Amino acid sequence: MRVLRTIAVFTAIAMTMATGLTRAQSADSGALPDWSGVWQMTTNTVFDQATVQPPGGNANTVGTREFPPYNEKWEAIYEANLGLVARGQFPDSITTCGTPAGFPRMMNLPAGIEFVVRPEQFWIITEDGPNVMRVYTDGRPHPAAEDRWPTYTGESVGHWEDDTLVFETISLKAHMILDRTGVVLSEQARIVTRMREIEDDLIEAHFAIDDAEALTETWHVRIQYARLPPGTRMIEFACAENNRNPVDEQGRTLTLDREGNILDQL
Amino acid sequence: MTRKPIILSAVALLAVGASLPGIAHHSANMFDRSQTIDLVGEVVEFQWTSPHIWIQINVENEAGVLEEWSIEGGVPNRLYRAGWRPNSFEPGDRVIIRGSPMRDGGKAALFIGAKLDDGSTLGRFE
Repeated sequence: MRVLRTIAVFTAIAMTMATGLTRAQSADSGALPDWSGVWQMTTNTVFDQATVQPPGGNANTVGTREFPPYNEKWEAIYEANLGLVARGQFPDSITTCGTPAGFPRMMNLPAGIEFVVRPEQFWIITEDGPNVMRVYTDGRPHPAAEDRWPTYTGESVGHWEDDTLVFETISLKAHMILDRTGVVLSEQARIVTRMREIEDDLIEAHFAIDDAEALTETWHVRIQYARLPPGTRMIEFACAENNRNPVDEQGRTLTLDREGNILDQL
Repeated sequence: MTRKPIILSAVALLAVGASLPGIAHHSANMFDRSQTIDLVGEVVEFQWTSPHIWIQINVENEAGVLEEWSIEGGVPNRLYRAGWRPNSFEPGDRVIIRGSPMRDGGKAALFIGAKLDDGSTLGRFE
């Protein structure tokens, strides 16, 4: 029995060392995956394609909704947002060209996205917005509670498990929308993201979302990104350049002519 | 030169909404995506800008008076990758533009497709 226990202990130690060695080799030898180039999500901007109704529904179409495992209170919040969408009064923050899309919505935008792999950090850069997010992979923990506060992209730390990037994001602002149907989360949201190139030129991000205030169980969502042709470049997006769709005091999105006059028949 | 009537057709196309180019930055509820109109006119200005491109065209109404319409399109980054360029439309171009009209009758539309005088097309213009 003692022999078996000794073997088990040595096996466990060896496996632990091997795992650590793999991570160290990945970080030190430049063996991290090559995710260079420009990527683009493969689906429309409905965040949770697995639960959307009607199937294949578009986030811009009235009546489209998903089914996050909301508790009663947050289901009511979502239904209120759906009502605003139906009336054309949904307060989509990025409509004002003033605030970032935030996380995880920045992973759910339709234009180009870059995944920059460095040994000590992982950067996500989106055309739309634009948005920038940093994931620290140098082994640091999250900042202490007194050193952080809710932000659009939160605080993210992670590590590599062979070819899979795993990172946890906390300290996100409440009520940031995840898509235009009106899905939102609370400040308690804690998202563990696993990203891996599941086949050549196709990355899948799996989001495991826990939110003690809003969700009754972990919400699992997957989004895939295809690499655009070699040589594709990121193109500037400056939302305030020529925003002819301002939002009025009632939350309505207006349409302006080129002189700035309102075209809507209010 | 005799100008064609401004609106060639107003056809209900219920399937159009799902395949329209995505509007990235705001609600598109002001446009009735179950309807399409074809506007025949002359380009006044092409704004190749963020967050959306705009095509300004003069069209002649039924009373023979020129009216300026604003056609809202997609985002330069994705349009560029779809073959558009900053000079895809130039002032003076004669075009037919197909779009979804505003629900309230305003002089604007959401771009679906266009056909230029040389027969070339952009977007969805079957």
